[in-house]
Amino acid sequence: MIIDINFIGLIIASIMASAVPLILASCGELITERSGVLNLGVEGMMIIGAISGFALMTVTGSLIIAVFGAMLAGVLISTIFAFLTQTLITNHVATGLALTIFGIGISAMIGKNFVGIPGKEFPVLFQGLKDTIPLLGPILFGHSIVFYFAFALPFITSYFLKKTKIGLIVRAVGDSPESASNQGINVKLVRYACILYGGAMSGLAGAYLSMIYTPQWIENMTGGRGWIALALVVFSTWNPIKILIGAMIFGGLTIIQFHMQAIGVRIPVQFLTALPYIVTIIVLVVISRDSRKIRLSTPSSLGKSFHKDN
Amino acid sequence: MSTNLKISNVTKIYPGCVANDNVSLEFNSGKIYALLGENGAGKSTLVKILSGVIIPDEGEIYLNKNNLKLNSPLDAKKNDIGMVFQHFNLFETLSVFENLIIDSDEQRESLREKIDSIMKKYNFSIDLDIPVLNLSAGQKQKVEIIRCLIRNPKVLIMDEPTSVLTEQETSELFLSLKKFSEEGILIIYITHKLKEVMQLCDEVAVMRRGKLISVSEIKNENIESLANKMVGQNLKTIKKKKAKTSSDQLIKITNLNFSSEDPFETNLIDINFSVNRGECLGIAGISGNGQSELFQVLSGEIISEKNSIEFNNNYIGDLSPQERREYLMAFSPEDRLEQAAIPQMKIFENVALNNFKSSNFFNNGLINENKIKEHSKKIISDFNVNTDNIELKSQFLSGGNLQKLIIGRELITSPDLLICFNPTWGLDVGAINYIHETLIKINEQNKSIILISTDTDELLKLSDKISVIHKGKLSKIMNAEEVTSEKLGILMGGAN
Repeated sequence: MIIDINFIGLIIASIMASAVPLILASCGELITERSGVLNLGVEGMMIIGAISGFALMTVTGSLIIAVFGAMLAGVLISTIFAFLTQTLITNHVATGLALTIFGIGISAMIGKNFVGIPGKEFPVLFQGLKDTIPLLGPILFGHSIVFYFAFALPFITSYFLKKTKIGLIVRAVGDSPESASNQGINVKLVRYACILYGGAMSGLAGAYLSMIYTPQWIENMTGGRGWIALALVVFSTWNPIKILIGAMIFGGLTIIQFHMQAIGVRIPVQFLTALPYIVTIIVLVVISRDSRKIRLSTPSSLGKSFHKDN
Repeated sequence: MSTNLKISNVTKIYPGCVANDNVSLEFNSGKIYALLGENGAGKSTLVKILSGVIIPDEGEIYLNKNNLKLNSPLDAKKNDIGMVFQHFNLFETLSVFENLIIDSDEQRESLREKIDSIMKKYNFSIDLDIPVLNLSAGQKQKVEIIRCLIRNPKVLIMDEPTSVLTEQETSELFLSLKKFSEEGILIIYITHKLKEVMQLCDEVAVMRRGKLISVSEIKNENIESLANKMVGQNLKTIKKKKAKTSSDQLIKITNLNFSSEDPFETNLIDINFSVNRGECLGIAGISGNGQSELFQVLSGEIISEKNSIEFNNNYIGDLSPQERREYLMAFSPEDRLEQAAIPQMKIFENVALNNFKSSNFFNNGLINENKIKEHSKKIISDFNVNTDNIELKSQFLSGGNLQKLIIGRELITSPDLLICFNPTWGLDVGAINYIHETLIKINEQNKSIILISTDTDELLKLSDKISVIHKGKLSKIMNAEEVTSEKLGILMGGAN
């Protein structure tokens, strides 16, 4: 059997494409969690982004309005979470779960009118270069702007956290909100901003699904990707670069197990479907074993409400 | 330029407690001021008002005649008031340098130069690029001080700075503070330790129950006069009678080791000691040197090898705390509300918690509430717990009352050995005295005590034998008469 080298390139590209929503949502949630806030509403924010993007695209016809509208929708729904957890000091876990249930419900409601409507084609960049280099051509070229942004995001996030003053403040707030407050840092403001940013990235991840990856609206189309994104953040020990690795492994195994099922490999389907989850967790646990590093990168105040008393 | 700081009629009221009651004070640079008082006297509230953390209900603060409005810590910083908090305000997972640059507007390079010159000037040596959690308590405090010095403060407030320091670190700190004072920084030093006030300060203000009691010069005071002002009554001094030397061995620890998976716990290395009946063995050390792990191994929270602990001729190293209690051991852990008692449970429920088997508190799995309540009332009256409501949730007891309740509860079974860990931590002088008397009584009844404590004075007062724990290793065991606090300080710092 002769395997076309460009065919391998295409498979790799499709793996990368399936990793995009995970990377976007994880990197957003990573910033939120680094500030000490545990938002379990990623799945809900993602699906809101998905329906908002698709609906705006259908109604306005503008892809730019649709993409930014989806991010704004993510911001708006995360504002509810921020108001509840930061201003009214509700429990992060319960509020996040409620957000997911809310998001899934309301997206299904809005989405009723959009089922079965075909999506629009999303423009890709560097399409002409795709065939110029074997193997690498299909991997590097001919993707949407969101795709390129997603693969830059872990590096931007890492740089932001390590090298910028605002990143330092975010880490400080996640480490000890009490100390930060005593240093004159406005803890609530920082956490609000981080929650809203996480919402925007989840919204974008959702829009990628409904507008680019599978351009149509299907109820519940995020299919648990929000939860995977959350798991990636924890298992990567809050390290954006490891999120990239984890998302690639997860995306890769998802694609490969589809192909294995199609070829008819004699392994139970259930096992193949479970494979990406198992392997991703094992790999991330193995590469993140250094307990010293875990202590240094885990936000100490994660999930704890901060209430300034005076 | 000289600095004048004036606090005028400051009042702060919390529900059920007047933390500061119309306090007025004046400070001038060139002197070191002590703010002295027991826990809950209101001194921490007052300095938190000065540093903008707490906003007073009434009153004004003037710095060089300017009325300051301190609505946030930022305002205090802008007005050149620096504060080193009792519980460090550092970000443990960030590097030292990141901790320092976070509230500075300077460029990295110029800040680094500035920090280096400060460290050189005051003889500090700290690696700026390691995470703060790798520093010792003394180093962390220096980081806090550097953080204040970067801003060239006019006022430097130190809140109970020596509670985590060794003797040597304390004297280094005092030298630095004197230097700062000579350079014109106004220093306010908050403490409840009388010795330090006498050693360091020029003037002393005493607070009690939110009120300012007196302001005086140190040269007109002595330890007794200050103690009486602080407590509001004459304190009796407690002295332990020399114990009859007994050679009847009660507990023997042999080659005890513990290595932790958690890199932030201390490993215990080859611990060997024994305690005779009627004896109190004191274990000194700076916190974080393995005391918590040692306590857990002795109490059975951490199981060790069966033969490593011999108690009353039984090997009990692999038994749980409950099983060890049946062999007549009793435990009083350091953290009263986290480990010793359950905050949300009522007093009598907490009393029942450590007596599942050996009492008549339970009948066929049902709670015998009357028996427990009867017994709780007895503890409350026998041990001077200042409440008559055994239905009260234990979180509402003061630290002193809670500690008395816990010790009382532990002594129900009249144990042969009581192991306590910092039993008077954070208590006021009256409660400390009571606990000390109780511990001495235990020894007089020919029962034994292992006292793990970070308070050197307490150890010297109560122990018959003393050992020092440093980095998980125990020093040789010394007779208490041969030991001085200086000698302990040296051993606590790791020297031989």
